[in-house]
Amino acid sequence: MTVLGDPPVAVATPAAVRLREPRGKVAVSWMTSTDHKVIGYMYIISSFVFFLFGGVLALLMRAELARPGLQFLSNEQYNQLFTMHGTIMLLMFATPLFIGFANVVMPLQIGSPDVAFPRLNMLSFYFFLFGSLEVVGGFLTPGGAADFGWFAYAPLNDVVHSPGAGADMWIMGLALSGLGTILAGVNFITTIFTMRAPGMTMFRMPIFTWNILVTSILVLLAFPILAAALLTLEVDRAFGARVFDSVNGGPLLWQHLFWFFGHPEVYIIALPFFGIVTEVLPVFSRKPIFGYKGLVFATLSIGALSIAVWAHHMYVTGSVLLPFFSFMTMLIAVPTGVKFFNWIGTMWRGSVSLDTPMLWAIGFLVTFLFGGLTGIILASPPLDFPVSDSYFVVAHFHYVVFGTVVFAMFSGFYFWWPKWTGKMLDERLGKLHFWLLFIGFHTTFMIQHWLGVEGMPRRYPDYLASDGFTTQNTISTIGSFILAASTLPFLWNVYKTAKHAPRVEVDDPWGWGRSMEWATSCPPPRHNFVSLPRIRSESPAFDLHHPELAPASSSHRSKIAAEPSPGAPGGTEPEPVSPTRGDS
Amino acid sequence: MKVEGRIFAGLAVFFVIVAVAYGELSREVVGTTALVLSGALASAIGFYGLRLNARLGPRPEDRPDADISEGAGVFGFYSPHSWWPLPTAASAAIMTLGFAFGWWLTVLGAFMLISSAVGFVFEYYRGYHAEG
Repeated sequence: MTVLGDPPVAVATPAAVRLREPRGKVAVSWMTSTDHKVIGYMYIISSFVFFLFGGVLALLMRAELARPGLQFLSNEQYNQLFTMHGTIMLLMFATPLFIGFANVVMPLQIGSPDVAFPRLNMLSFYFFLFGSLEVVGGFLTPGGAADFGWFAYAPLNDVVHSPGAGADMWIMGLALSGLGTILAGVNFITTIFTMRAPGMTMFRMPIFTWNILVTSILVLLAFPILAAALLTLEVDRAFGARVFDSVNGGPLLWQHLFWFFGHPEVYIIALPFFGIVTEVLPVFSRKPIFGYKGLVFATLSIGALSIAVWAHHMYVTGSVLLPFFSFMTMLIAVPTGVKFFNWIGTMWRGSVSLDTPMLWAIGFLVTFLFGGLTGIILASPPLDFPVSDSYFVVAHFHYVVFGTVVFAMFSGFYFWWPKWTGKMLDERLGKLHFWLLFIGFHTTFMIQHWLGVEGMPRRYPDYLASDGFTTQNTISTIGSFILAASTLPFLWNVYKTAKHAPRVEVDDPWGWGRSMEWATSCPPPRHNFVSLPRIRSESPAFDLHHPELAPASSSHRSKIAAEPSPGAPGGTEPEPVSPTRGDS
Repeated sequence: MKVEGRIFAGLAVFFVIVAVAYGELSREVVGTTALVLSGALASAIGFYGLRLNARLGPRPEDRPDADISEGAGVFGFYSPHSWWPLPTAASAAIMTLGFAFGWWLTVLGAFMLISSAVGFVFEYYRGYHAEG
């Protein structure tokens, strides 16, 4: 039972003496936890493990493609690899990673003691974990894992073309983990709507929290359609229904349903990571976010538009309304451009310091910009037709998705690591990690644009020496191994930090943190806050720690400052009221 | 709840407009249906949010001048820890495995799911908690 308005404690006391508990006890306390932070850590750890696994699958593919000819994979194995690589990276890495970040950070940012449904939160995690293990478990069956591509087009997904347990496990496992995602979305929306601290109005929420809200709305819209499509497909396979049979126009029906899920899914994995970057940029530019409301409306319009563009994945079917989808897709570039404008405006004339989180955020801006530009090319049907299903598309979506998810993930890791663990990650190793990954990534994927334009199709395990693709493929493969090697400094950094780094004793080790998570201890106590700061702007922690800088420009702030300070009889919270406030 | 309700109401209006435009231009049923249903989902939540706002008025978290102390008091009941999510999700997973390996697994999983779901739902209505 949590009671707000506890007696005031001046400084959140860090656990000075930490007795090491027996391992079994820790394991049980994690397995049965209802603490949103612990569940979030479990999400983040599991999704990172899936990220490493999916990365190994990618390395196998890149190694096979380095030279012409089939070296060590069969066609079937290659099909399984790209299918599972896509499935893992989207649905077992990026999506649960968003839920992990949201779980840990969002309740802290709105000043809530937990999420709205803590047991449901844990249930969602187990649905995700067991569902994902089931999908990956397909590798252990005699027929191997699913091999129909991550979007499982009909009729390839039927029982005649894809017999075997791997396909069934893929379908049912994804349905199960999708259920977990839906429940997490419900949980987040309820939490944001009903559990904000007093004074935390919607338009004072940090942009990260806004993006979690929009993402959760998209989850509600998109994932039930995926579940319906998957379960119908399984009914086709198990009971001989003919919903996705070719004679009924099934292939097109499947594509419509899949992409009606699939495109919002792209934004489900992009928006939270935009949010992370939006949290990092103001802190390391020492400026408030530029154009807060513009960012919020840009995010909302991206969310709204994203459900009206699904068939741009289906241009080459020849049966979709090209002008409509081309127009809507190009329209989505407008709010995305607004976001870029705001991000750059935040840094503009700021006091920028290139700490590791900021480096990753800028790496995101650069990489994602490339992906966005090729996206506009692909949005135009006449330009899309010649490169559809080629490596140009592969390069495009890796720039978009890797640029967003991975760069912003590491930005968030380095940024919030002290908040989560009470220890700062090593900056030098972090910079080495960044540069290795940045160089590795661009070496791998930049060249794939040209590879695609010259005609190399995606999903082929082999090509001829006379095709002239060899040099580009070799360069790409070398880049992918640099990219993979960049993970080693990170893992070493995590280990070294856990063993040797000093404990963070202050609430805000970066010094210029803005949102509420920086107003509680590192790591936060069980229900997050010993005392909540007064909330009078979208940067309550900044106002608390730098009362002399609290801006007095906007009208409602001056109005509030003009009021007599409401000395609450209980005297509950530290109130950073500066004497100069409202003077201007 | 005013802003919250308006977000969903606004989305509902947008989805309906897009559904009409798309349906009219394309005459394609799958996408039109999905768009109409999206509009219905958003309008249900938006309608509820706005009704709630009319009934409750601005809550402390909706007012820019609210103080933290206004949220004082009992916030709600929070489960300190729970074993039930684990068996519930595990039995659901066993149930789905039956589609790949044989129906006996589905039947077994279904029974396990029912018992663990009952345990999950009634965790805080039994034993010690039943007296309160």
